Amino acid sequence: MPNYVEFNKISKGFPGVQALDDVSFRVQGGRICALMGENGAGKSTMLKILSGDYQADEGTIIIDGMPASYHSPHGALKASISVIYQERQLVPGLSVMENIFIEDLPKKGIRIDKAALRKMTQHILDEFELDVNPSEPVGRLSVAHQQMIEIMKAYRRDSEIIAFDEPTAPLSESEINTLFKVIRRLKEAGKVIIYVSHRMSEIFQISDDIVVLKDGKLVCELNADETTEQELITAMVGRDIGDTYAELCRNENIGEVMLEVRNLETDDVHDINLEVRAGEIVGFAGLIGAGRTELARAIFAADPISSGEIFLNGQKVNFKSPKDAIAAGMALCPEDRKEQGLVLDRTINNNITSAVLEKVKTGLFLDKKKERKLSHAAVEKYSIKTPSIEKKVVELSGGNQQKVILGRWTSEAMVTKVLILDEPTKGIDVGAKAEIYQAICDFAKAGLAVIFISSELTEVINLADRIIVMAQGRITGSLSRQEATEEKVLKLAMHH
Amino acid sequence: MADILGGMIKIVKSKMFALIVLLAILSTIVQIGSNGIFLHPINIRTILDMMIITGMMTIGATLLLIAGALDLSVGTVGTMAGMMFAVLLRYHHFHWAVALILCLALAAVFGLINATLVNFAKFPAFIATLGMASVAEGVSFLFSGGANVSLSDPFMRNLATGRFMNNTIPFSIIILLVFFIVYGIILSKTKFGRQIYLVGSNPTASRLVGINSRRISYILFINSSVLGAFAGIMFNSRVAAATTLGITDRQFFGLIAAILGGVSFGGGTGGLGGAFVGLLIFSAFANGMFLLRVDSFWNQAIFGMLLLVSLAFDYMRSRATYRSPRAKRKSKKTTTTA
Repeated sequence: MPNYVEFNKISKGFPGVQALDDVSFRVQGGRICALMGENGAGKSTMLKILSGDYQADEGTIIIDGMPASYHSPHGALKASISVIYQERQLVPGLSVMENIFIEDLPKKGIRIDKAALRKMTQHILDEFELDVNPSEPVGRLSVAHQQMIEIMKAYRRDSEIIAFDEPTAPLSESEINTLFKVIRRLKEAGKVIIYVSHRMSEIFQISDDIVVLKDGKLVCELNADETTEQELITAMVGRDIGDTYAELCRNENIGEVMLEVRNLETDDVHDINLEVRAGEIVGFAGLIGAGRTELARAIFAADPISSGEIFLNGQKVNFKSPKDAIAAGMALCPEDRKEQGLVLDRTINNNITSAVLEKVKTGLFLDKKKERKLSHAAVEKYSIKTPSIEKKVVELSGGNQQKVILGRWTSEAMVTKVLILDEPTKGIDVGAKAEIYQAICDFAKAGLAVIFISSELTEVINLADRIIVMAQGRITGSLSRQEATEEKVLKLAMHH
Repeated sequence: MADILGGMIKIVKSKMFALIVLLAILSTIVQIGSNGIFLHPINIRTILDMMIITGMMTIGATLLLIAGALDLSVGTVGTMAGMMFAVLLRYHHFHWAVALILCLALAAVFGLINATLVNFAKFPAFIATLGMASVAEGVSFLFSGGANVSLSDPFMRNLATGRFMNNTIPFSIIILLVFFIVYGIILSKTKFGRQIYLVGSNPTASRLVGINSRRISYILFINSSVLGAFAGIMFNSRVAAATTLGITDRQFFGLIAAILGGVSFGGGTGGLGGAFVGLLIFSAFANGMFLLRVDSFWNQAIFGMLLLVSLAFDYMRSRATYRSPRAKRKSKKTTTTA
């Protein structure tokens, strides 16, 4: 079959970030193409454009020589394109068979033809060697089985173009093998298959071609048989470290241990032991879902701890809520700035003083003068671009919003000793990024213990004094600034 | 000159201005329709006489709405407390002060349960409070045995009907104004008030800056029930009896007044100043229906429609706010340059 999909000069921008920049490549029918890249390289955006969820700003998708003209997920399905996402889109209350055939249930008159439905479902279940009852509600199945159902849902559509976004994440070894059998069968049938995964071994096992993206740009197209793991990692990491880092004014005096975590266990992270010293920047690297955010939230008492101990400045602490943690000198800039970091509808002033209301009181009442003084100080210190501190935060740019959060935690009314920054530069333009890097170095100079979580490898490696790498809820390694390279970090991050 | 113009544009664009214009239009219509009775001093006094009942519930509703919750049990809890009060006074000969404290305490327990259902059992506020409304209704019947109880204590009779200054200004409106001012100060000037707004706008972010949103929720639910009990007792004082219906049919009045006054269902916006104007609008509307001889059987249906209309306004208002940050930024810019 001369079947192919061609991505032709695809560009897609979001506020503050160019997710895809003039990317072109072609996927041949009957071959499996792996799409590789670090977090934020643009893989998911590419799949979402393919599935019709997003519209490309520029460029076209060409199917068998014809420019595709769909503008919605529904249109993509009609064009015989199925994209299987990590987030499952099943209806938990409906049965397995109803979920698989949800788009066109076989009917007898106006009733659903249950007998035919069951037969068709059983046929697919047999192909996938999956032993579940077709009438079982999907909500009762394990995550792995749900994932398989999601795949079957796309499989039975018999689409010509199928994309998988990390399909194996929740699956066990034997389930992966069955899935690979199915994928190979699809390949033999001449389908166009795009496969996204972080697991190196899988990529070489299943794919024929590899397309590498970085920062929204196409790096190279490789033939899987002629490429080594090392070559692939090097291609993914790239070589475009700017001068930004060289110009940073760093802290040289690292002090005593400020934060210590011993044998910490929660639902999401396991066996965590770490130390952060005053004046030290400890970077946390890992893939999305490695448990870094969960660890930060547990230390900050935003999520419950099952066991383990936390010491602050040598003293054992037992926080019951973020309130206690803040009072003891901890601060967290959460990953989701808009939902968790800021109260968007309130003013800059309100957001900066929200954690220190007790300190801006005179007698029983809040003192406007004290509030304004703190806010003006923060606006000045971080050069937040705004006409007034009474402007609502929602109207600021991403970089300025992040600076408001930094201003809150480092105001003179705070006693912050440990600052946890979770993806502080996410979705922020380059100029503001550099300012935030310098701010982070300044925190260290001021003697704060800084935990710096980032999915941008270059950023962590160049900013942190020490890098802790996590994978699947555990710490898989710790590297000093001198020994850390992107290759080493990536290897540890993919460790499992 | 430009400053004065800009200032005027700001005033004209403000929520408060729109509300006052609405009040003026409504008053004019009723004034004409009632052949001048509406603005007659005796009629105004009648409106003021009745305002404390809806007013107390408006304060409770406003605070809860700003915090992102609501209380649908306030009317029945008020009726229950009022019934208990009358029974204690008439059949058990309690001193009014002791009876009052006991009734407010019972109401507080209902608020406490509401807050527990919402914060720990994770019920949506409207389900929890609707359920508790039924419970309160049942308890009320236990007290009364299904009969109305007359209220004869002279002090209590006077509470809602007494007037100052040559019988012109009701005591009750003074009490209500004091409540609005005190709560207004708490809401706009204290740490607690600020935290109500922060929690209502974004509970997740508020928790991460160390705000104890549960504590706030508990205080506000209890406050709502206690203010409802006050309203119930005031109503009894006004009609000289505790009736089985009580203020149950006024359940939504506080909510309607608050929303008319610019307090949003979405939480985090509005204030007691606006809510007070909302209360005036509501009271004028209710009185207007009476003056224009709208069949009283229609009242409940019309109030229901008023609630829907105010909700629709609230919806459109929040749509306009979130319409498009860019469009908003543009329009702000043109305003400042003008």
